[in-house]
Amino acid sequence: MSELASALADLDEDRVKTLVREKVDAGVDPMSIVDECRRGMDIVGERYKKREYFLSELIISGEIFKEAMAVVEPMLKAGKQAEPISRMVLGTAKGDIHNIGKDIVATLLKAAGFEIYDLGIDVAPGKFVEKLTETGAPILGMSGLLTPSFGAMKETVEAVEAAGVRDKVKIIIGGGIVTEQVKKYVGADAFTDDAAEGVEICRRFATEAR
Amino acid sequence: MTSKERIEAVIKLEPYDRVPVAPLVDVMFPSRHKGMTVAHGISRWREGFQAILDVYDEVSGWDAMILPGYSLPLTLTVAAGVMVSLGSGRYRFPGQDPAVSVDSQPQYEERELLTIEDYDEIIKLGWSGFAEKNRERFTPFAPEAIISWTERQTAHYIKEKETWEGRGIPSLCGAIIESPLMFFSTKRSLISFTMDLHRIPDKVQAAMDAVVDEFIAEAIGATRLTGIPGVMLILERGGGFYYPLKIFERFEFPYMKKMVEAFAAKGLLTVLHFDQDWTINLPYLRELPKKMCICELDSTTDIFKAKKILKNHMCVMGDVPASLSSIGTPEEMEGYCRKLIDIVGKGTGFILSSGCTVPADAKFENFKTMIYTAKNYLPAR
Repeated sequence: MSELASALADLDEDRVKTLVREKVDAGVDPMSIVDECRRGMDIVGERYKKREYFLSELIISGEIFKEAMAVVEPMLKAGKQAEPISRMVLGTAKGDIHNIGKDIVATLLKAAGFEIYDLGIDVAPGKFVEKLTETGAPILGMSGLLTPSFGAMKETVEAVEAAGVRDKVKIIIGGGIVTEQVKKYVGADAFTDDAAEGVEICRRFATEAR
Repeated sequence: MTSKERIEAVIKLEPYDRVPVAPLVDVMFPSRHKGMTVAHGISRWREGFQAILDVYDEVSGWDAMILPGYSLPLTLTVAAGVMVSLGSGRYRFPGQDPAVSVDSQPQYEERELLTIEDYDEIIKLGWSGFAEKNRERFTPFAPEAIISWTERQTAHYIKEKETWEGRGIPSLCGAIIESPLMFFSTKRSLISFTMDLHRIPDKVQAAMDAVVDEFIAEAIGATRLTGIPGVMLILERGGGFYYPLKIFERFEFPYMKKMVEAFAAKGLLTVLHFDQDWTINLPYLRELPKKMCICELDSTTDIFKAKKILKNHMCVMGDVPASLSSIGTPEEMEGYCRKLIDIVGKGTGFILSSGCTVPADAKFENFKTMIYTAKNYLPAR
C-alpha cells in the first residue's frame, strides 16, 4: 500500500494534505493520486466491515478525500478524465428535507468512483425520472428519514415503471427507519440503513449493469 | 393494578399484572386522525392537546404519558429560552415553512448553528453566559419576552400533566435535556462535529465540561416547576451507530453518568431516550443507578439484547418500529407486540411503547392494536 493510501486509511489528515501537495507539485499523474486515495478509502471500507471503524471514520475519511480532491480536481479537469465505475441518480424523497444521510452516502460513492447526480432534498418523482431518462444512469438511490417518504418513494418507483425504464434501473432506498417491509412496500431492489453497505450494494448494481 | 401502580412497579422492577403501555404520542398523529393538519394541531395548543385526549379516549386509554403533551418544560430563564431557540434553528415547521408540507412532522436541516469559535466562548463563559451574550444571534426576542414565553410553555406543561392526573395517568418526564455530545453534535452539525472530535478533541471536551453542570441544573430546575420527578435525556449521536467506544467512553458516557447520578440523587427518574442503534453501548448502562432509569429504544437498538443485559437493573421501553405503525397491518402489529411482551416483558421491567414518537401517518388501527395488545394479551407466565 502506498504511503498516501495508508495515510488516508489511518485518517491522518495532515499527512494526506502534505503528500497530495508534494505529488501535485512533482507533476505526478493526477489520476494516480486519485487512485491512491481511493485505495485508502477502500481500506477504510474494509475496516468498517470488520467493525474496526464506525460511521465517524467514514465521515472523516470522506472529508479528507474531499480535501484531497479539491487539490487534484483542477488538474483532472485540465487533463484526461477517468471513466466512472457507474452513474447514479440520488436524492431525498418528496416531502422529506433531511440531507445528512444522503450527503454522507454521496461523498462515499464519489470516492468509490461513481458519478453522482445529486438532486438534493424534497425531490418529486417526476424529477427523478427526468434525470434517469436524461442521463441513462442505471442506479437510483432515494433517501428518507420520515415515514411519509415511503409513499413518495413508492410513487417514484411507479413513475419509473410508467416511464418504461424500470428494467434498466436498479433502485436502492436508504434511511434510518427503512426495513425489508418498507423495501417491499416501495418496490425497491435493495434497502440499507448503513452508508458503507449502501456503497457495496451500488457496486454490485454497477457490475450487474455492465 | 391502577396505571400509576403498574408504572411504579415496572420502574422498580417489581411484578406487574400486565405489561404497561405508554406510547410517545405528541400532537402529530392525533391531529391527523382528528382531521386537522399537523400544522394546525401544532399552532393551536388547545385543539392539538384535545386531539391527544380524544385519541386516548377512543382506544380506552393507556398507562402513562412519557411527555404529557407537546409544550416544553423549562426554567424561567433567558438561557433556557435561548437553548430552545438555538435548537429550533435547525427545524423547519409545517405551516411556517413552504418546504414542509402542512401534514408533515417538523423536519430538521443539518447545518451549523454554532461555529467552531463558539467553543472558546462557551469554555470561558459557560452555557448561560454564552447564551445571554449571544442571545441576538439565536432569537429576535428581548429577555423579558423570552422569560414570558418560558412561563407560558411551562404553564401549559403543568396543565397537560394535571389533565392526565385527572384521568389517573402519570407523566414520566418533567424536564427534557440533551447530553452535551448531543447538544454540540446537533448544533455544530454531524459532519463538522465529527471533524471537531478528530481535530480538536480537547477543546470539545472542555466545552462539554463547561456546560454539563448547567444542563443538570436546568433539568432539575424544570422538574421542580413542573412537579414531575423525571427527566428525558435525549441521546442519539453518541452511540455505536455513529462512534466507536473510545469516543463514547470519553465524550458521552461520563457526562451521561454524571447527569443521571445527579438526577437520581434528587430522586428523579431518567428516561434515556435513545435514537439510533446503541446495542454495543448497552453494557455501560449497568453502571447507572439501579432502578432509576428507563432505557427507551426506537427499534434500531436490539431490544432483546437490552433486556438480557439490563434485566434486574433498569426498565426497558419501546420499540414498535415507525414503519410498522405507518405501513404495517394490525395483524403484523399484534404479532410484534406479542413477541415483545413474551420476551422483553417476561417477569417485569418492560413498557410497551412506540419506537420514538408515533409517526404522523400512523394508521389508527395499528395504534389501537398496539394499545389493545398490551392490555389484553396475557401470556402464560
